Amino acid sequence: MMAGAKKEIPLREGLFTSGIPNDGSPQLVGTRCRSCGEVTFPKRKICPNCHKQDPEEISLSRYGKIYSVTVVTQRPPIYYKGPVPYAMGFVELPEGVRIQTLFTGCDPDSLGIGMDVELVVEKLCEDQEGHEIITYKFRPVDV
Amino acid sequence: MREVVVAGVGMVRFGRYNGEKEWPLKEFYELGCEAVLGAFRDACVEMKDIQAVFCGQVYQGTSAGFKVINEIGSTGIPIVNVENACSSSSSAFRLAYQSIAAGVYDLCLVIGLEKVPAGFVASTAWNEWERYMGFNVQPAAYALETVRHMKEFGLTEKQIARVTVKNRKNGALFPYGYFRQEVTLGEVLNSRIIAKPLRLLMCCPNADGAVAAVVCSRDKFKSRSKAVTVAASVLVSGMYGPLRGGGSVKVQNPNRTQMAAKQAYEVSGYGPEDLDLAEVYDAMAPIELINLEDLGICKPGEAGHLLDEGFFDLGGKMPVNTSGGLMSRGHPLGATGLAQIAEIAWQLRGEGGQRQVPDARVGLCHSMGAGQTCCVTILKR
Repeated sequence: MMAGAKKEIPLREGLFTSGIPNDGSPQLVGTRCRSCGEVTFPKRKICPNCHKQDPEEISLSRYGKIYSVTVVTQRPPIYYKGPVPYAMGFVELPEGVRIQTLFTGCDPDSLGIGMDVELVVEKLCEDQEGHEIITYKFRPVDV
Repeated sequence: MREVVVAGVGMVRFGRYNGEKEWPLKEFYELGCEAVLGAFRDACVEMKDIQAVFCGQVYQGTSAGFKVINEIGSTGIPIVNVENACSSSSSAFRLAYQSIAAGVYDLCLVIGLEKVPAGFVASTAWNEWERYMGFNVQPAAYALETVRHMKEFGLTEKQIARVTVKNRKNGALFPYGYFRQEVTLGEVLNSRIIAKPLRLLMCCPNADGAVAAVVCSRDKFKSRSKAVTVAASVLVSGMYGPLRGGGSVKVQNPNRTQMAAKQAYEVSGYGPEDLDLAEVYDAMAPIELINLEDLGICKPGEAGHLLDEGFFDLGGKMPVNTSGGLMSRGHPLGATGLAQIAEIAWQLRGEGGQRQVPDARVGLCHSMGAGQTCCVTILKR
Protein backbone atom coordinates (compact mmCIF):
# COMPACT_ATOMS: atom_id res chain seq x y z
CA MET A 1 0.00 0.00 0.00
CA MET A 2 1.28 3.45 -0.89
CA ALA A 3 1.92 5.91 1.93
CA GLY A 4 -0.05 9.14 2.33
CA ALA A 5 -3.50 9.94 1.06
CA LYS A 6 -3.24 7.75 -2.05
CA LYS A 7 -5.73 4.90 -2.03
CA GLU A 8 -5.92 1.68 -4.01
CA ILE A 9 -9.30 1.32 -5.63
CA PRO A 10 -10.37 -1.95 -7.30
CA LEU A 11 -11.36 -1.50 -10.95
CA ARG A 12 -14.66 -3.18 -10.14
CA GLU A 13 -16.01 -4.61 -6.90
CA GLY A 14 -16.39 -8.38 -6.88
CA LEU A 15 -13.84 -9.24 -9.58
CA PHE A 16 -11.08 -10.27 -7.18
CA THR A 17 -9.99 -10.30 -3.54
CA SER A 18 -6.71 -8.55 -2.71
CA GLY A 19 -5.35 -11.20 -0.38
CA ILE A 20 -8.18 -11.63 2.08
CA PRO A 21 -9.05 -14.06 3.65
CA ASN A 22 -6.38 -16.57 2.60
CA ASP A 23 -2.59 -16.34 2.68
CA GLY A 24 -2.31 -12.81 1.42
CA SER A 25 -2.43 -13.81 -2.23
CA PRO A 26 -5.08 -12.29 -4.48
CA GLN A 27 -7.83 -14.48 -5.91
CA LEU A 28 -10.41 -14.09 -8.65
CA VAL A 29 -14.03 -14.50 -7.64
CA GLY A 30 -16.15 -16.71 -9.86
CA THR A 31 -19.27 -18.81 -9.62
CA ARG A 32 -19.96 -22.52 -10.02
CA CYS A 33 -23.45 -23.68 -10.93
CA ARG A 34 -24.89 -25.98 -8.26
CA SER A 35 -26.86 -27.75 -10.97
CA CYS A 36 -24.69 -28.19 -14.11
CA GLY A 37 -21.27 -27.36 -12.63
CA GLU A 38 -20.41 -24.66 -15.17
CA VAL A 39 -17.78 -22.28 -13.78
CA THR A 40 -17.92 -18.62 -14.80
CA PHE A 41 -15.92 -15.46 -14.33
CA PRO A 42 -16.82 -12.78 -13.40
CA LYS A 43 -19.34 -14.11 -10.89
CA ARG A 44 -22.92 -14.34 -12.05
CA LYS A 45 -26.35 -14.50 -10.48
CA ILE A 46 -27.67 -16.93 -13.09
CA CYS A 47 -25.83 -19.84 -14.72
CA PRO A 48 -25.50 -18.91 -18.41
CA ASN A 49 -25.47 -22.58 -19.40
CA CYS A 50 -28.56 -24.01 -17.64
CA HIS A 51 -30.18 -20.74 -16.43
CA LYS A 52 -30.55 -22.01 -12.85
CA GLN A 53 -30.36 -19.21 -10.32
CA ASP A 54 -28.11 -18.91 -7.31
CA PRO A 55 -24.82 -20.47 -8.40
CA GLU A 56 -22.25 -20.67 -5.56
CA GLU A 57 -19.49 -18.10 -5.31
CA ILE A 58 -15.99 -19.64 -5.44
CA SER A 59 -12.40 -18.44 -5.30
CA LEU A 60 -10.58 -19.46 -8.46
CA SER A 61 -7.12 -21.00 -8.79
CA ARG A 62 -4.26 -18.56 -8.98
CA TYR A 63 -2.37 -20.59 -11.59
CA GLY A 64 -3.33 -21.42 -15.14
CA LYS A 65 -2.11 -21.77 -18.72
CA ILE A 66 -2.34 -19.26 -21.55
CA TYR A 67 -5.11 -20.32 -23.94
CA SER A 68 -4.73 -17.44 -26.39
CA VAL A 69 -2.65 -14.29 -26.48
CA THR A 70 -2.13 -11.23 -28.66
CA VAL A 71 -0.02 -8.10 -28.40
CA VAL A 72 -1.88 -4.86 -29.10
CA THR A 73 0.42 -2.22 -30.59
CA GLN A 74 -2.03 0.67 -31.03
CA ARG A 75 -3.70 2.56 -28.18
CA PRO A 76 -7.36 1.54 -27.70
CA PRO A 77 -10.04 4.22 -27.70
CA ILE A 78 -10.62 6.29 -24.56
CA TYR A 79 -10.47 4.11 -21.45
CA TYR A 80 -7.24 2.13 -21.39
CA LYS A 81 -4.37 4.19 -19.92
CA GLY A 82 -1.65 1.52 -19.55
CA PRO A 83 1.46 0.93 -21.62
CA VAL A 84 1.30 0.17 -25.34
CA PRO A 85 2.19 -2.39 -26.67
CA TYR A 86 0.42 -4.64 -24.19
CA ALA A 87 -0.34 -8.36 -24.09
CA MET A 88 -3.91 -9.55 -23.67
CA GLY A 89 -5.65 -12.89 -23.97
CA PHE A 90 -7.33 -15.77 -22.17
CA VAL A 91 -5.96 -17.95 -19.37
CA GLU A 92 -7.46 -21.38 -18.71
CA LEU A 93 -7.73 -22.33 -15.04
CA PRO A 94 -7.95 -25.90 -13.69
CA GLU A 95 -11.61 -25.37 -12.71
CA GLY A 96 -12.41 -25.28 -16.43
CA VAL A 97 -12.92 -21.59 -16.99
CA ARG A 98 -11.15 -19.18 -19.33
CA ILE A 99 -10.38 -15.72 -18.00
CA GLN A 100 -9.84 -12.73 -20.26
CA THR A 101 -6.88 -10.83 -18.88
CA LEU A 102 -3.99 -8.47 -19.35
CA PHE A 103 -0.50 -9.96 -19.01
CA THR A 104 2.27 -8.27 -17.05
CA GLY A 105 5.79 -8.74 -15.74
CA CYS A 106 7.43 -9.79 -19.01
CA ASP A 107 8.20 -8.82 -22.59
CA PRO A 108 4.73 -9.00 -24.23
CA ASP A 109 6.22 -10.77 -27.25
CA SER A 110 7.64 -13.56 -25.07
CA LEU A 111 4.20 -15.01 -24.27
CA GLY A 112 2.70 -18.00 -26.03
CA ILE A 113 -0.12 -20.53 -25.86
CA GLY A 114 0.37 -23.13 -23.11
CA MET A 115 2.68 -21.05 -20.89
CA ASP A 116 2.19 -21.28 -17.12
CA VAL A 117 0.99 -18.02 -15.58
CA GLU A 118 -0.05 -16.80 -12.15
CA LEU A 119 -2.51 -14.21 -10.93
CA VAL A 120 -1.36 -10.83 -9.63
CA VAL A 121 -3.27 -7.75 -8.59
CA GLU A 122 -1.53 -4.51 -9.49
CA LYS A 123 -1.97 -0.96 -10.71
CA LEU A 124 -3.92 -0.48 -13.93
CA CYS A 125 -3.93 3.33 -14.00
CA GLU A 126 -4.58 6.35 -11.79
CA ASP A 127 -7.88 8.13 -11.47
CA GLN A 128 -8.28 11.92 -11.61
CA GLU A 129 -7.44 12.31 -7.90
CA GLY A 130 -4.25 10.31 -8.27
CA HIS A 131 -5.60 7.19 -6.58
CA GLU A 132 -4.40 3.91 -8.02
CA ILE A 133 -6.97 1.83 -9.85
CA ILE A 134 -5.92 -1.79 -9.29
CA THR A 135 -6.93 -4.84 -11.28
CA TYR A 136 -6.13 -8.51 -11.84
CA LYS A 137 -3.53 -9.55 -14.41
CA PHE A 138 -1.51 -12.70 -15.07
CA ARG A 139 2.27 -13.01 -15.33
CA PRO A 140 4.58 -15.86 -16.30
CA VAL A 141 5.50 -18.17 -13.41
CA ASP A 142 9.16 -17.97 -12.29
CA VAL A 143 10.01 -14.65 -13.91
CA MET B 1 -45.19 -17.68 -46.71
CA ARG B 2 -45.02 -15.61 -49.89
CA GLU B 3 -41.95 -15.55 -52.10
CA VAL B 4 -39.90 -12.38 -51.52
CA VAL B 5 -37.62 -10.74 -54.07
CA VAL B 6 -34.99 -8.02 -54.13
CA ALA B 7 -36.44 -5.71 -56.78
CA GLY B 8 -33.60 -3.23 -56.84
CA VAL B 9 -30.47 -2.03 -55.07
CA GLY B 10 -28.57 1.23 -54.83
CA MET B 11 -25.22 2.03 -53.30
CA VAL B 12 -22.92 5.02 -52.93
CA ARG B 13 -19.20 4.45 -53.23
CA PHE B 14 -17.82 3.67 -49.77
CA GLY B 15 -15.02 5.94 -48.61
CA ARG B 16 -14.41 9.07 -46.56
CA TYR B 17 -17.07 11.72 -46.97
CA ASN B 18 -15.18 14.23 -44.81
CA GLY B 19 -14.45 17.01 -47.32
CA GLU B 20 -10.79 16.04 -47.71
CA LYS B 21 -8.88 15.10 -50.88
CA GLU B 22 -11.27 13.72 -53.50
CA TRP B 23 -14.04 13.12 -50.95
CA PRO B 24 -16.86 15.71 -50.64
CA LEU B 25 -18.32 16.34 -47.18
CA LYS B 26 -21.62 14.47 -46.90
CA GLU B 27 -23.77 13.61 -43.91
CA PHE B 28 -24.94 10.05 -43.39
CA TYR B 29 -28.51 10.95 -44.35
CA GLU B 30 -27.30 12.47 -47.62
CA LEU B 31 -25.42 9.27 -48.40
CA GLY B 32 -28.51 7.28 -47.41
CA CYS B 33 -30.72 9.38 -49.65
CA GLU B 34 -28.44 8.83 -52.67
CA ALA B 35 -28.50 5.09 -52.09
CA VAL B 36 -32.30 5.08 -51.74
CA LEU B 37 -32.80 7.02 -54.97
CA GLY B 38 -30.48 4.54 -56.68
CA ALA B 39 -32.53 1.61 -55.41
CA PHE B 40 -35.77 3.32 -56.50
CA ARG B 41 -34.41 3.79 -60.04
CA ASP B 42 -33.18 0.21 -60.14
CA ALA B 43 -36.54 -1.18 -58.99
CA CYS B 44 -38.66 1.35 -60.93
CA VAL B 45 -40.54 2.44 -57.81
CA GLU B 46 -41.15 5.75 -56.07
CA MET B 47 -41.40 6.85 -52.44
CA LYS B 48 -45.21 6.57 -52.55
CA ASP B 49 -44.91 2.84 -53.34
CA ILE B 50 -42.98 2.10 -50.14
CA GLN B 51 -45.03 0.72 -47.23
CA ALA B 52 -42.34 0.45 -44.55
CA VAL B 53 -38.66 1.32 -44.06
CA PHE B 54 -36.09 -0.65 -42.07
CA CYS B 55 -32.84 1.25 -41.56
CA GLY B 56 -29.72 -0.51 -40.28
CA GLN B 57 -27.10 1.62 -38.53
CA VAL B 58 -24.98 1.42 -35.37
CA TYR B 59 -23.69 4.78 -34.11
CA GLN B 60 -25.72 7.36 -36.08
CA GLY B 61 -28.08 8.14 -33.20
CA THR B 62 -31.79 8.56 -32.88
CA SER B 63 -34.02 8.71 -35.97
CA ALA B 64 -31.33 7.92 -38.53
CA GLY B 65 -33.83 6.29 -40.90
CA PHE B 66 -36.25 9.19 -40.63
CA LYS B 67 -33.47 11.66 -41.47
CA VAL B 68 -32.86 9.77 -44.73
CA ILE B 69 -36.53 9.62 -45.67
CA ASN B 70 -36.99 13.25 -44.62
CA GLU B 71 -34.51 14.19 -47.38
CA ILE B 72 -37.04 12.76 -49.84
CA GLY B 73 -40.25 13.65 -48.01
CA SER B 74 -41.83 11.47 -45.36
CA THR B 75 -45.12 9.81 -46.22
CA GLY B 76 -46.40 8.58 -42.87
CA ILE B 77 -45.20 5.00 -43.24
CA PRO B 78 -43.45 3.18 -40.38
CA ILE B 79 -39.69 3.73 -40.22
CA VAL B 80 -37.78 1.38 -37.94
CA ASN B 81 -34.16 1.89 -36.93
CA VAL B 82 -32.26 -1.35 -36.51
CA GLU B 83 -29.06 -1.55 -34.48
CA ASN B 84 -27.53 -4.99 -34.53
CA ALA B 85 -23.80 -4.21 -34.69
CA CYS B 86 -22.13 -5.21 -37.96
CA SER B 87 -25.20 -7.25 -38.91
CA SER B 88 -27.50 -4.22 -38.65
CA SER B 89 -28.56 -3.87 -42.26
CA SER B 90 -28.78 -7.62 -42.88
CA SER B 91 -30.99 -7.73 -39.78
CA ALA B 92 -33.04 -4.85 -41.23
CA PHE B 93 -33.25 -6.78 -44.50
CA ARG B 94 -34.62 -9.76 -42.58
CA LEU B 95 -37.37 -7.65 -41.01
CA ALA B 96 -38.46 -6.51 -44.46
CA TYR B 97 -38.29 -10.09 -45.72
CA GLN B 98 -40.38 -11.39 -42.81
CA SER B 99 -43.11 -8.79 -43.08
CA ILE B 100 -43.45 -9.28 -46.83
CA ALA B 101 -43.35 -13.08 -46.57
CA ALA B 102 -46.06 -12.90 -43.92
CA GLY B 103 -48.22 -10.66 -46.09
CA VAL B 104 -48.08 -7.62 -43.82
CA TYR B 105 -46.56 -5.48 -46.60
CA ASP B 106 -45.98 -5.91 -50.31
CA LEU B 107 -43.08 -3.53 -50.74
CA CYS B 108 -40.45 -2.31 -48.29
CA LEU B 109 -37.29 -0.28 -48.34
CA VAL B 110 -34.16 -1.43 -46.53
CA ILE B 111 -31.31 0.99 -45.82
CA GLY B 112 -27.86 0.43 -44.36
CA LEU B 113 -25.64 3.40 -43.58
CA GLU B 114 -22.83 4.66 -41.39
CA LYS B 115 -20.15 7.30 -41.10
CA VAL B 116 -17.20 5.94 -39.11
CA PRO B 117 -14.01 7.80 -38.17
CA ALA B 118 -10.65 6.11 -38.91
CA GLY B 119 -8.93 4.03 -36.24
CA PHE B 120 -10.35 1.65 -33.66
CA VAL B 121 -14.11 1.96 -33.28
CA ALA B 122 -14.98 3.26 -29.79
CA SER B 123 -17.35 0.33 -29.37
CA THR B 124 -19.81 0.20 -26.51
CA ALA B 125 -20.09 -3.57 -26.92
CA TRP B 126 -17.66 -4.14 -24.04
CA ASN B 127 -18.58 -3.39 -20.43
CA GLU B 128 -16.90 -0.33 -18.97
CA TRP B 129 -14.42 -2.27 -16.80
CA GLU B 130 -13.43 -4.33 -19.83
CA ARG B 131 -12.71 -1.15 -21.74
CA TYR B 132 -10.43 0.01 -18.91
CA MET B 133 -8.63 -3.33 -19.29
CA GLY B 134 -8.03 -2.65 -23.00
CA PHE B 135 -10.16 -5.57 -24.18
CA ASN B 136 -12.17 -3.28 -26.51
CA VAL B 137 -9.97 -3.67 -29.57
CA GLN B 138 -11.69 -5.44 -32.46
CA PRO B 139 -8.49 -6.67 -34.17
CA ALA B 140 -7.31 -8.06 -30.81
CA ALA B 141 -10.51 -10.05 -30.30
CA TYR B 142 -10.10 -11.54 -33.76
CA ALA B 143 -6.38 -12.08 -33.17
CA LEU B 144 -7.22 -14.32 -30.22
CA GLU B 145 -9.48 -16.43 -32.47
CA THR B 146 -6.76 -16.48 -35.09
CA VAL B 147 -3.95 -17.72 -32.84
CA ARG B 148 -6.17 -20.61 -31.71
CA HIS B 149 -6.94 -21.51 -35.33
CA MET B 150 -3.25 -21.30 -36.24
CA LYS B 151 -2.43 -23.56 -33.29
CA GLU B 152 -5.17 -26.12 -33.99
CA PHE B 153 -5.11 -26.23 -37.79
CA GLY B 154 -1.77 -24.78 -38.86
CA LEU B 155 -3.18 -21.69 -40.59
CA THR B 156 -0.18 -19.55 -41.61
CA GLU B 157 0.50 -15.81 -41.74
CA LYS B 158 1.08 -16.15 -45.47
CA GLN B 159 -2.37 -17.66 -45.95
CA ILE B 160 -3.91 -14.86 -43.89
CA ALA B 161 -2.09 -12.29 -46.03
CA ARG B 162 -3.29 -14.06 -49.16
CA VAL B 163 -6.93 -13.35 -48.19
CA THR B 164 -6.16 -9.63 -48.33
CA VAL B 165 -4.36 -10.02 -51.67
CA LYS B 166 -7.34 -11.91 -53.14
CA ASN B 167 -9.92 -9.46 -51.85
CA ARG B 168 -8.01 -6.36 -52.87
CA LYS B 169 -7.60 -7.88 -56.35
CA ASN B 170 -11.37 -8.35 -56.58
CA GLY B 171 -11.95 -4.91 -55.07
CA ALA B 172 -10.00 -3.30 -57.90
CA LEU B 173 -12.87 -4.41 -60.16
CA PHE B 174 -15.67 -3.13 -57.90
CA PRO B 175 -16.83 0.43 -58.63
CA TYR B 176 -18.33 1.15 -55.18
CA GLY B 177 -15.42 0.14 -52.96
CA TYR B 178 -13.11 2.37 -50.91
CA PHE B 179 -9.79 0.70 -51.84
CA ARG B 180 -9.50 -0.07 -55.53
CA GLN B 181 -5.79 -0.83 -55.74
CA GLU B 182 -4.31 -4.29 -55.55
CA VAL B 183 -1.71 -5.10 -52.90
CA THR B 184 1.11 -7.65 -52.94
CA LEU B 185 1.79 -10.41 -50.43
CA GLY B 186 4.93 -8.56 -49.39
CA GLU B 187 3.06 -5.34 -48.74
CA VAL B 188 0.59 -7.15 -46.49
CA LEU B 189 3.29 -9.09 -44.60
CA ASN B 190 5.39 -5.95 -44.11
CA SER B 191 2.59 -3.68 -42.93
CA ARG B 192 2.75 -2.77 -39.24
CA ILE B 193 1.34 -5.07 -36.58
CA ILE B 194 -1.96 -3.95 -35.01
CA ALA B 195 -2.69 -6.96 -32.78
CA LYS B 196 -0.26 -9.82 -33.21
CA PRO B 197 -0.38 -11.64 -35.63
CA LEU B 198 -2.74 -9.27 -37.44
CA ARG B 199 -1.14 -6.52 -39.49
CA LEU B 200 -2.69 -3.30 -40.77
CA LEU B 201 -3.47 -4.71 -44.22
CA MET B 202 -5.13 -7.75 -42.64
CA CYS B 203 -7.69 -5.44 -40.97
CA CYS B 204 -10.52 -3.92 -42.99
CA PRO B 205 -10.60 -0.12 -43.23
CA ASN B 206 -13.41 1.81 -41.59
CA ALA B 207 -15.42 3.77 -44.13
CA ASP B 208 -18.48 5.92 -44.69
CA GLY B 209 -21.21 4.56 -46.93
CA ALA B 210 -24.81 3.75 -47.62
CA VAL B 211 -26.75 1.03 -49.43
CA ALA B 212 -30.45 0.56 -50.07
CA ALA B 213 -32.63 -2.24 -51.38
CA VAL B 214 -36.25 -2.40 -52.47
CA VAL B 215 -37.74 -5.69 -51.31
CA CYS B 216 -41.16 -6.91 -52.41
CA SER B 217 -43.42 -9.90 -52.86
CA ARG B 218 -42.94 -11.92 -56.05
CA ASP B 219 -46.67 -12.14 -56.79
CA LYS B 220 -47.10 -8.36 -56.75
CA PHE B 221 -44.16 -7.71 -59.05
CA LYS B 222 -44.18 -10.47 -61.63
CA SER B 223 -42.87 -8.22 -64.38
CA ARG B 224 -39.57 -7.37 -62.72
CA SER B 225 -37.14 -9.49 -64.64
CA LYS B 226 -34.19 -8.14 -62.69
CA ALA B 227 -35.56 -9.33 -59.37
CA VAL B 228 -33.67 -12.01 -57.46
CA THR B 229 -35.41 -14.27 -54.97
CA VAL B 230 -34.64 -14.39 -51.26
CA ALA B 231 -34.17 -18.11 -50.56
CA ALA B 232 -33.28 -17.59 -46.89
CA SER B 233 -32.80 -14.69 -44.52
CA VAL B 234 -31.60 -15.91 -41.14
CA LEU B 235 -30.49 -14.06 -38.02
CA VAL B 236 -29.10 -15.68 -34.88
CA SER B 237 -27.44 -14.45 -31.72
CA GLY B 238 -24.86 -16.92 -30.51
CA MET B 239 -25.52 -19.46 -27.75
CA TYR B 240 -23.58 -19.52 -24.51
CA GLY B 241 -20.34 -21.44 -24.76
CA PRO B 242 -18.37 -21.16 -27.97
CA LEU B 243 -15.98 -18.25 -28.39
CA ARG B 244 -12.99 -19.29 -30.38
CA GLY B 245 -10.39 -17.18 -28.59
CA GLY B 246 -11.78 -18.05 -25.14
CA GLY B 247 -15.26 -19.26 -24.26
CA SER B 248 -16.43 -22.13 -22.10
CA VAL B 249 -14.16 -25.14 -21.60
CA LYS B 250 -17.03 -27.61 -21.20
CA VAL B 251 -19.99 -26.28 -23.16
CA GLN B 252 -19.57 -27.08 -26.85
CA ASN B 253 -22.58 -25.55 -28.58
CA PRO B 254 -22.32 -24.74 -32.30
CA ASN B 255 -21.12 -21.20 -32.91
CA ARG B 256 -23.29 -18.48 -34.40
CA THR B 257 -22.10 -18.91 -37.99
CA GLN B 258 -22.62 -22.67 -37.86
CA MET B 259 -26.13 -22.12 -36.46
CA ALA B 260 -27.14 -19.47 -38.99
CA ALA B 261 -25.74 -21.46 -41.92
CA LYS B 262 -27.56 -24.63 -40.88
CA GLN B 263 -30.86 -22.76 -40.64
CA ALA B 264 -30.31 -21.00 -43.98
CA TYR B 265 -29.53 -24.28 -45.75
CA GLU B 266 -32.63 -25.90 -44.23
CA VAL B 267 -34.94 -23.04 -45.18
CA SER B 268 -33.58 -22.62 -48.72
CA GLY B 269 -33.15 -26.28 -49.58
CA TYR B 270 -29.66 -25.47 -50.82
CA GLY B 271 -26.45 -26.80 -49.36
CA PRO B 272 -22.99 -25.27 -49.49
CA GLU B 273 -22.29 -27.36 -52.60
CA ASP B 274 -25.05 -25.51 -54.47
CA LEU B 275 -23.52 -22.05 -53.97
CA ASP B 276 -21.94 -20.30 -56.94
CA LEU B 277 -20.40 -17.49 -54.89
CA ALA B 278 -20.44 -15.95 -51.42
CA GLU B 279 -19.83 -12.66 -49.65
CA VAL B 280 -18.27 -13.68 -46.35
CA TYR B 281 -17.50 -11.43 -43.38
CA ASP B 282 -13.83 -10.48 -43.57
CA ALA B 283 -13.41 -7.68 -41.04
CA MET B 284 -10.04 -9.35 -40.44
CA ALA B 285 -8.44 -11.49 -43.14
CA PRO B 286 -8.20 -14.76 -41.17
CA ILE B 287 -11.86 -14.55 -40.18
CA GLU B 288 -12.92 -15.06 -43.78
CA LEU B 289 -11.20 -18.45 -43.75
CA ILE B 290 -12.62 -19.45 -40.36
CA ASN B 291 -16.09 -18.36 -41.48
CA LEU B 292 -15.85 -20.39 -44.70
CA GLU B 293 -15.22 -23.45 -42.56
CA ASP B 294 -18.08 -22.63 -40.17
CA LEU B 295 -20.40 -22.06 -43.15
CA GLY B 296 -19.64 -25.62 -44.27
CA ILE B 297 -18.20 -24.37 -47.56
CA CYS B 298 -15.12 -26.39 -46.66
CA LYS B 299 -13.99 -28.59 -43.78
CA PRO B 300 -12.39 -27.26 -40.58
CA GLY B 301 -8.76 -26.42 -41.22
CA GLU B 302 -9.14 -26.69 -45.00
CA ALA B 303 -9.79 -23.07 -46.02
CA GLY B 304 -6.15 -21.95 -46.01
CA HIS B 305 -5.11 -24.75 -48.36
CA LEU B 306 -8.06 -24.18 -50.69
CA LEU B 307 -7.18 -20.49 -50.76
CA ASP B 308 -3.60 -21.39 -51.75
CA GLU B 309 -5.01 -23.45 -54.63
CA GLY B 310 -7.15 -20.54 -55.91
CA PHE B 311 -10.44 -22.19 -54.95
CA PHE B 312 -11.89 -18.90 -53.64
CA ASP B 313 -10.48 -16.67 -56.41
CA LEU B 314 -12.53 -15.06 -59.15
CA GLY B 315 -12.45 -17.88 -61.67
CA GLY B 316 -12.01 -20.43 -58.89
CA LYS B 317 -14.57 -23.07 -57.99
CA MET B 318 -16.16 -20.95 -55.27
CA PRO B 319 -15.44 -17.22 -55.63
CA VAL B 320 -15.59 -15.48 -52.24
CA ASN B 321 -15.96 -11.72 -51.81
CA THR B 322 -16.10 -10.81 -55.48
CA SER B 323 -16.84 -7.25 -54.36
CA GLY B 324 -13.51 -7.15 -52.55
CA GLY B 325 -15.20 -7.76 -49.22
CA LEU B 326 -14.89 -5.47 -46.22
CA MET B 327 -11.15 -5.52 -46.87
CA SER B 328 -11.49 -3.44 -50.07
CA ARG B 329 -14.99 -2.01 -49.83
CA GLY B 330 -14.38 -0.65 -46.34
CA HIS B 331 -16.65 -1.20 -43.36
CA PRO B 332 -19.39 1.34 -42.66
CA LEU B 333 -20.74 -0.81 -39.83
CA GLY B 334 -24.45 -0.44 -40.49
CA ALA B 335 -24.08 -0.61 -44.28
CA THR B 336 -21.93 -3.71 -44.66
CA GLY B 337 -24.58 -6.44 -44.54
CA LEU B 338 -26.71 -4.84 -47.23
CA ALA B 339 -23.62 -4.15 -49.37
CA GLN B 340 -23.02 -7.91 -49.44
CA ILE B 341 -26.64 -8.47 -50.51
CA ALA B 342 -26.29 -5.81 -53.25
CA GLU B 343 -23.20 -7.53 -54.68
CA ILE B 344 -24.88 -10.93 -54.77
CA ALA B 345 -27.95 -9.37 -56.41
CA TRP B 346 -25.79 -7.77 -59.14
CA GLN B 347 -23.93 -11.04 -59.70
CA LEU B 348 -27.16 -13.07 -60.00
CA ARG B 349 -28.46 -10.49 -62.48
CA GLY B 350 -25.31 -10.84 -64.56
CA GLU B 351 -24.29 -7.24 -63.86
CA GLY B 352 -20.97 -8.01 -62.18
CA GLY B 353 -18.91 -6.51 -65.03
CA GLN B 354 -15.29 -7.69 -65.03
CA ARG B 355 -15.83 -9.52 -61.75
CA GLN B 356 -18.88 -11.43 -63.00
CA VAL B 357 -19.09 -15.08 -61.92
CA PRO B 358 -20.32 -16.89 -65.06
CA ASP B 359 -23.91 -18.15 -64.81
CA ALA B 360 -24.18 -17.35 -61.10
CA ARG B 361 -27.48 -18.75 -59.82
CA VAL B 362 -27.20 -19.02 -56.03
CA GLY B 363 -25.19 -16.78 -53.71
CA LEU B 364 -24.75 -16.50 -49.94
CA CYS B 365 -24.10 -13.47 -47.73
CA HIS B 366 -22.66 -13.79 -44.24
CA SER B 367 -22.24 -11.02 -41.71
CA MET B 368 -21.55 -10.99 -38.00
CA GLY B 369 -20.99 -8.53 -35.21
CA ALA B 370 -20.93 -7.73 -31.52
CA GLY B 371 -23.65 -9.24 -29.41
CA GLN B 372 -22.87 -12.53 -31.11
CA THR B 373 -25.06 -11.54 -34.06
CA CYS B 374 -24.83 -13.43 -37.31
CA CYS B 375 -26.89 -13.18 -40.49
CA VAL B 376 -26.86 -15.63 -43.38
CA THR B 377 -28.86 -14.61 -46.44
CA ILE B 378 -29.18 -16.79 -49.54
CA LEU B 379 -30.32 -15.27 -52.83
CA LYS B 380 -31.19 -17.13 -56.01
CA ARG B 381 -31.79 -16.14 -59.58
